[in-house]
Amino acid sequence: MFKTVNSRIAIASALAAVVLAACGAPAATQAPAAKQKAPAAEQKASAEPIIIGVSGPLTGQNARYGEQWKKGFDLALEEINGAGGVDGRKIEYVFEDSQSDPKQSVVVAQKFVADPRIIVEIGDFSSGASMAASKIYERGGLVQFGMTNSHPDFTKGGGEYTWSNSSTQSQLAPALAELAVATVGLKKPAVLYLNTDWGKTTYQLFEEKAKSLGAEIVANEAYLPEEKDFKSALTRVRDANPDGLILISYQADGALIVQQLEGAGLKLPIVGASSLQSPDFLKLGGKAAEGVLLRAQFLPSDPQPRIKNFVDKYKAKYNETPDFFATHAYDTIKLLKEEIKIGGATREGVKTALAQLKDVPSVIYGKVTFDKETRRVSDPTFVNLVVKNGEFVAWEGK
Amino acid sequence: MDPTLRTFIDQTINGLAIGNVYALTAVGLALIFGVANLINFAHGSVYMIGAYVGWVCVTWLGWPLPASFAAVAVVCGALGVALERFGLQGLHRKARIAPLLATIGISFALDQATQLLFTANPQSFPNPLPAERIALGGVSIGAIDVLIAVVGVSTAGILFGFLRFTQLGWALRATAQDRDAAQQMGVDVEGVNRATFGIAGVLGGLAGALVGLYFATVYPTMSFQAGIKGFAANLLGGLGNVPGSIVGGVVLGLVESYGVAAFGATYRNLFAFAILIGVLVVRPAGLFSRRRTLPPEPMTGTFVPNSRPVRVPRAVVIGGIAVALCFPVLVSDPYLLQILTNAWLLAMVALSLTLVTGTAGQSSLGQAGFMAIGAYASALLSLRAGLPFEIALIAGSLIAAVLGTLLVLPAFRLRAHYVAIATLGIGEMVNQVIANWDGLTNGVLGLTNIPPPSLFGIEMVTPRATYWYSLALLLLAALLQLRLLRSHLGRTWRAIREDDVAAQSAGVGLNRYKALAFAVSAGMAGMAGAFSGHMYSYINHETFASSTSILALTMAILGGMGNMVGAVVGAVLLTALPEVFRGLVDYRYLVYGVVLLLLVRFRPQGLLGTV
Repeated sequence: MFKTVNSRIAIASALAAVVLAACGAPAATQAPAAKQKAPAAEQKASAEPIIIGVSGPLTGQNARYGEQWKKGFDLALEEINGAGGVDGRKIEYVFEDSQSDPKQSVVVAQKFVADPRIIVEIGDFSSGASMAASKIYERGGLVQFGMTNSHPDFTKGGGEYTWSNSSTQSQLAPALAELAVATVGLKKPAVLYLNTDWGKTTYQLFEEKAKSLGAEIVANEAYLPEEKDFKSALTRVRDANPDGLILISYQADGALIVQQLEGAGLKLPIVGASSLQSPDFLKLGGKAAEGVLLRAQFLPSDPQPRIKNFVDKYKAKYNETPDFFATHAYDTIKLLKEEIKIGGATREGVKTALAQLKDVPSVIYGKVTFDKETRRVSDPTFVNLVVKNGEFVAWEGK
Repeated sequence: MDPTLRTFIDQTINGLAIGNVYALTAVGLALIFGVANLINFAHGSVYMIGAYVGWVCVTWLGWPLPASFAAVAVVCGALGVALERFGLQGLHRKARIAPLLATIGISFALDQATQLLFTANPQSFPNPLPAERIALGGVSIGAIDVLIAVVGVSTAGILFGFLRFTQLGWALRATAQDRDAAQQMGVDVEGVNRATFGIAGVLGGLAGALVGLYFATVYPTMSFQAGIKGFAANLLGGLGNVPGSIVGGVVLGLVESYGVAAFGATYRNLFAFAILIGVLVVRPAGLFSRRRTLPPEPMTGTFVPNSRPVRVPRAVVIGGIAVALCFPVLVSDPYLLQILTNAWLLAMVALSLTLVTGTAGQSSLGQAGFMAIGAYASALLSLRAGLPFEIALIAGSLIAAVLGTLLVLPAFRLRAHYVAIATLGIGEMVNQVIANWDGLTNGVLGLTNIPPPSLFGIEMVTPRATYWYSLALLLLAALLQLRLLRSHLGRTWRAIREDDVAAQSAGVGLNRYKALAFAVSAGMAGMAGAFSGHMYSYINHETFASSTSILALTMAILGGMGNMVGAVVGAVLLTALPEVFRGLVDYRYLVYGVVLLLLVRFRPQGLLGTV
């Protein structure tokens, strides 16, 4: 009896030990080896690749955003490395899946901080996962670069080590209000917004600006990110008698809303936030998406070379038009390349270079310069788009 | 027409439309509950695969709808049978908990495989049905609404007739009632089980395809939400009650629709779960149970296996603790230390579960809610009242204990699976309240700049410091729990677990003791949450999602339910495994699911449990 029990324990503990060992082995062997190599690499500027760490979702609820990121990264790196990289060194990225879960993003953060090859980190996706890791990056002296982190406090989380090229709502929301109220002329709009830090902040700033422009918001409906059935909310909106609908939504939920309008007996002009600019919104929204206006950041058919180049290459590689997330990913890699050029391929170099960057060409912003205080992009520009025949085209006005 | 009346009618129609969808999802779940007495976590995945098969047939192959539905039925029926044959067969003689764990593993693997095959992007599933809509009041319904209603009601009718009037139906019901007796009477119980899973697979797949059409979208993660709403609908109607769960689905849809009409869309789930728990308090076995029957044996249907934990020799435990304590001295890699810190914190949650589930016999899927309460209480106390970390941590745990117990109080009348799902609902409610209570919690923006853990004013921020700090808290929690279990309290809790009727007749006030167990448990989970919150420096309503509750339960049962050492081993293993598989990138959770399945296969009673 005793013997069998003991053998079972032995098996269990052996299993645990194996797991721990397997878990430790790569990290343990990697770290010292890398430590020895790193200084040498810096001195010689050898052909060792420059590594960017990416923490983001590749599995779980938000996996699709991680997939879009990857497409943008790969395209940008193809161009950069095809042209010889930076100072003869190729740029590569290590994508660690965090499922956008703070439990895992902090683990990934520790892994990146401990790996001296990594000179800058991108991500995470959700505020919860990104901001839980900010302090770790700050303590480790590694810049955390948020591409899609629009949370107003994101860049305050890790002091000088947290930067973002995501447009903040303080820029986007007033621009959206200007389009809806001043240009389209809505006086009594209803707003549907995603109840996340992004949606809520956008809504509050939108409301402020819309009021100052003389509009009255007759209904505002926050909804859960996993919401699929909007009919009840839309019936509420209908009862408020709005003259237009503002969507502060992501692609899939935005598509569901426009599809369910008919069933709720609503026929209204719709103005949406830039996040709707995605082939998914067109694909999922189908006919119902026709005529939706967007306050977006760039026009895919824009003949300017910085945009045309990117869109053409992206279409050729992936057979679809780039969405908000892939574009951000592409832009970010291009931006980091410039940083590395200026500051060198070290952690400190990246940090100091970010403050020095001036007018870096960008698909989204035209030119990027960072505000040193907020560590965000100064003065982004916006364009008005409309969905026409299943495509986003420039909106010429009424 | 009076505008209020018009709105009411319109919202009723909206509610019926979505309720219709919930009902369809609930039917298949009801069948498996009824026959196999199992919460099938993989049902949502079968549903999702049904949606994908339908989508492939309609949009890729261009098949007409009836042929596509036939294909869905065949594929998902076969999938159901395969699931039973390869995942569950051989486990039902073992601990009752094993099949549940197996279904969790299977669902991981299926979801991930689908994502790998079709990408995580949602796919457009355009509805080939006529576009005409029937106007009803101010709103209108489409052909798909009618189709779903027809399919839902007719499957329920067919199932009802099948169970009542056919030989296989009788066999199925007999197996459900008493497996051994059925076998003795010559029923091929294995075959019956397989048939059940096959039928449930067909139903789940059809539901998925129809819901995919309804929302014109299919995506790999559609399984989880469907599962939760399906469970809720089922519970409302009475577990295992097929016509009941149809009505349950419709009631849930109506309630949600009225809730949205009154409070707004962001309160949808809050309202739904509040009503669910309200109904359960009044009718503990669902709306349509004729009488309150006691389960034939006290432990039937709980998550607790009829097993005794392996007695781990004291020397091994002490040795293990010593290794854990010395670990940071030997290894300095912060990545490894962070993994183990996470493991210690989750081990506290798993321990807190062993207390309620393994000891007092109450299953809980709401531990993440208690973690969130503890985290928010502690963070707010240190941010707004300036309390030092240690005091805030203790106060946070106490608040979690008190609030947690008060929240679970209404669920004390419930039994078995009902407790599990009610606590799942409570966990969701906590997060929804946090998201909506802007004044206190800062709403969806969350709390930023939470001060890091500290001890006597010294910040504990290095990986080593947080490692030792969390380990120390875990050991304290374990000691407290050990002390409690060895007291008269522990004996009383075990008595309740073994036979609550007997315990009650021996003069044990059930509710008080259950409340005590939940208080300790919620306090412990709250402490783990509070520490995590300070460690993260930022928390919001999604930080402690209900998936964490399921993870903690998986850890506790994998370790061998009711076994404290087992809970810790389970926590370390399940925190480390996804990290070990990091190199597999996209395949990580596919492999994780398979490994979980294999572990269950070879240790159905948990790693440190004996039968």
